[in-house]
Amino acid sequence: MRSPFAYTPRPGPLQAASPGAAVAYLGALTAVAFLFSNPLVLAAAGIGAGLAGRLAGAWSAVRAAIRLGLAIALPIVIVNALVVNRGQTVLARLGDWPLLGQVDVTAEALADGAVFGLRAVVVMIAFAVYSACVDPDRVLRALRPFAGRSALTATLVSRLVPVAAADAGRLRDAARLRGPGAAEAGRAPLARRLLAGSLDRAVDVAATLELRGYSLEPRRRPHRRRLAEGLWGREDPKPFGRASRFDLRFYLAGAVVLGAAIAAKALGADDFGAYPTIAVGFDPATLALSALLVLSGLTPLRRRPRRRRV
Amino acid sequence: MSELAIRRGAAPALEIAGLGYAYPRAAASALRDVSVEISPGEFVLLAGRSASGKSTLLKAACGLAPHFHGGEIEGAVTVAGRDAIESGPGELAAAVGYVAQDPETQVVSTTVAAEIELPLEMRGDADSDRARAVEEVALALAIPHLLGRTVDTLSGGELQRVALAAALVTRPSLVLLDEPTSQLDPVAGDELIWLLRRLNEEWGVAVLLAEHRLERCLAAADRVIAMDAGRITFDGPPGDFLAWSHVSDTALTTPAARLFSLAGIEPLPVGVRQARSLLESRGRGEGEGVGSPPGAHPLRGGGGRPLASTRKVAEFAGRGPDPLSATASLIASDLWVEMVRNDEPRDVLRGIDLRLGRGERVALMGRNGAGKSTLLKTAAGLIEPVRGKVEVPGGMALLTQNPGDYLVRERVGDELPGEAGAAALRAVGLEHAADADPRDLSGGERQRLALAIALAGQMEGERLPGLVALDEPTRGMDRGRKDELVELIGDLAARGAGVVVATHDVEFASAFADRVVLLGDGVVIADGPAREVLSGGWYFATEVARVLDLPGVVTPEQGAAALRGEGPG
Repeated sequence: MRSPFAYTPRPGPLQAASPGAAVAYLGALTAVAFLFSNPLVLAAAGIGAGLAGRLAGAWSAVRAAIRLGLAIALPIVIVNALVVNRGQTVLARLGDWPLLGQVDVTAEALADGAVFGLRAVVVMIAFAVYSACVDPDRVLRALRPFAGRSALTATLVSRLVPVAAADAGRLRDAARLRGPGAAEAGRAPLARRLLAGSLDRAVDVAATLELRGYSLEPRRRPHRRRLAEGLWGREDPKPFGRASRFDLRFYLAGAVVLGAAIAAKALGADDFGAYPTIAVGFDPATLALSALLVLSGLTPLRRRPRRRRV
Repeated sequence: MSELAIRRGAAPALEIAGLGYAYPRAAASALRDVSVEISPGEFVLLAGRSASGKSTLLKAACGLAPHFHGGEIEGAVTVAGRDAIESGPGELAAAVGYVAQDPETQVVSTTVAAEIELPLEMRGDADSDRARAVEEVALALAIPHLLGRTVDTLSGGELQRVALAAALVTRPSLVLLDEPTSQLDPVAGDELIWLLRRLNEEWGVAVLLAEHRLERCLAAADRVIAMDAGRITFDGPPGDFLAWSHVSDTALTTPAARLFSLAGIEPLPVGVRQARSLLESRGRGEGEGVGSPPGAHPLRGGGGRPLASTRKVAEFAGRGPDPLSATASLIASDLWVEMVRNDEPRDVLRGIDLRLGRGERVALMGRNGAGKSTLLKTAAGLIEPVRGKVEVPGGMALLTQNPGDYLVRERVGDELPGEAGAAALRAVGLEHAADADPRDLSGGERQRLALAIALAGQMEGERLPGLVALDEPTRGMDRGRKDELVELIGDLAARGAGVVVATHDVEFASAFADRVVLLGDGVVIADGPAREVLSGGWYFATEVARVLDLPGVVTPEQGAAALRGEGPG
């Protein structure tokens, strides 16, 4: 079964955009999540990223990211509530705990933890949309001129992970099919077997890479020579992969989101404080930024082609 | 060198002189004094038993040996005028393409388009050149519809075509293929071979193809090279090869050639078409109809006697009523199984009703994705049906496609401890190997050990479980090992187990099965005596059945009897 985060080619603007443009757009939303603590802004960034995923056809990835993000957020909230005793609104007094001492659960600590958790959810959604919509081959191709060995490692890993997962599934099946009189497979022998099999697989994949010319000297690779002449040289104006007519849209959206976030920050938006009592600001700059973040989720929207009458 | 190549003055596609090679830390050389020359545009078949040196020869021709595997090499290897011992595989990629047996490990990119484009990108070709080359090779291999797909959504046959496209995209003068059809169903396998022949003819690319199932590709070849113990033992045209193999190594002969040999007809045919033509010419000599479709008139056997072609199928039906087979080993009733493929749920089995008896030898056949493995895994309890049920009254032992998955310890006795383990080892004839390391066993022995692990504890004394199931056990096997497996299956069935084998190999099925169940898209589309099912079609028919087109005639022995006018019984 495929992971919901696995890249799936679809005919959408986000998939068609170059990796650089997609990273600029989704990266801006992620940056907002790290720059701001106001739950309204964070929620707006999450909605924007989720909307982008929905419009790009990656709704299953968004849903999986929300589930995973909430699974990460919940322990953050609980741990924060247990270890932070600040805050005036005590909801429960849990007495003396070993190592933690007096544990008082406050509404402020819960809210503070929830903001951390919300940030994790937003980052997960943005990453999920990236993973499901941006072609990893194009990313690796863009990375190769700068970091050939890292790109090689990434290629090997990206290929071996699904192969190893399939091997692990087969080994689990074989372990279940062992007769009751055979020795139990056991976790350690299975892990050893999987590791040995993965090494064999890695050798096979590496052989294929050799045959594809991965080991050629850099001097044989004009792409790299062109880059040496200047990143935006005349011969290869697009070192980050083939351009798309949607690139400008995503670069622009990313720049607007990031610019607006910085301007809003300068104007005093992001008024959030958890202690001693919860204070959330809803000033015009915060509201405007939140609205912009939600609207930015429409960037991958594809215009319906006009019908022509013949 | 062919006349065409001489006229063009082209260098040989591959020239090997006095090649010797030994893998690192290997006790013996894998190649010994190999000299061979392949002309541009030749289609050469590389035949030989397992471990005869075929794969190593291909690896030396593309530079993987010694550049990737290490080891010691002597002699000379020249590919399209380039020294393959000096140059690495990447530098040779423009002149030689290589396709290995396992399609899973031959793809390194996420999407098909990127996979095919990769060698050109590594070579530094311009974007426009890359785009055109990818488009052309995709059209040539009939896979343009796959370009936008991710590789993890492709079937085995599609993946193998993508690997071939990646090997051909640089327009090499030579392409090397190491058993590319071993994991494909008969339909996809035949398609791949004829695709290679078409590329060979239209693009002029020389092909060196290593294969075990010679009947599948002998007719497409211009020349055959046979190997044994790292040496070349034969090099010549396909017809001469059959005559040689008939005397020197019968494991390398084809069913049609064995049919003719047993019937005393010469020359031995290299394929179905030639076999039919030879038989028809014998008929013509006797004044029979010429050019009629096969089976439309009685063909002439040895001595010019008419064939027993009018017999009804029922006369050749497999086993008759048998008290042992009356006891069920598997009962499937209205069995539905749903699985998620490419993000969408799909019914893989659709209302299967099936009953297998003890002592029966059943071949479960069908295209890749027809539901064979799913049926066996459901019977073994690995998959839950969404509707219906499947029962295995006497228990079941299932050996999946990779026997190595069962072997997780370093001593056979540690895998199978106690009396139950010893009984299982005895059941597969491996009682002598209790102290051996599974890695030191031969391929066939490892397979039997894996089967013993599946059987262990399910036997009452020496009595086997009701059903023994093997999933694709003959991948990459030579004829000798297949014959051993046929013996083992016969032994298991004789001792009361129902044996069901999911297989693509029709010749193997004809050798062991008395019943064939053919699945198509999750439903049973044929179920009957092996002789009937394997003689009633084209793709799922043996070579002998395709030659003679007689109901109930599937093996060379049956065919020879029919040609002698004795009837196939």
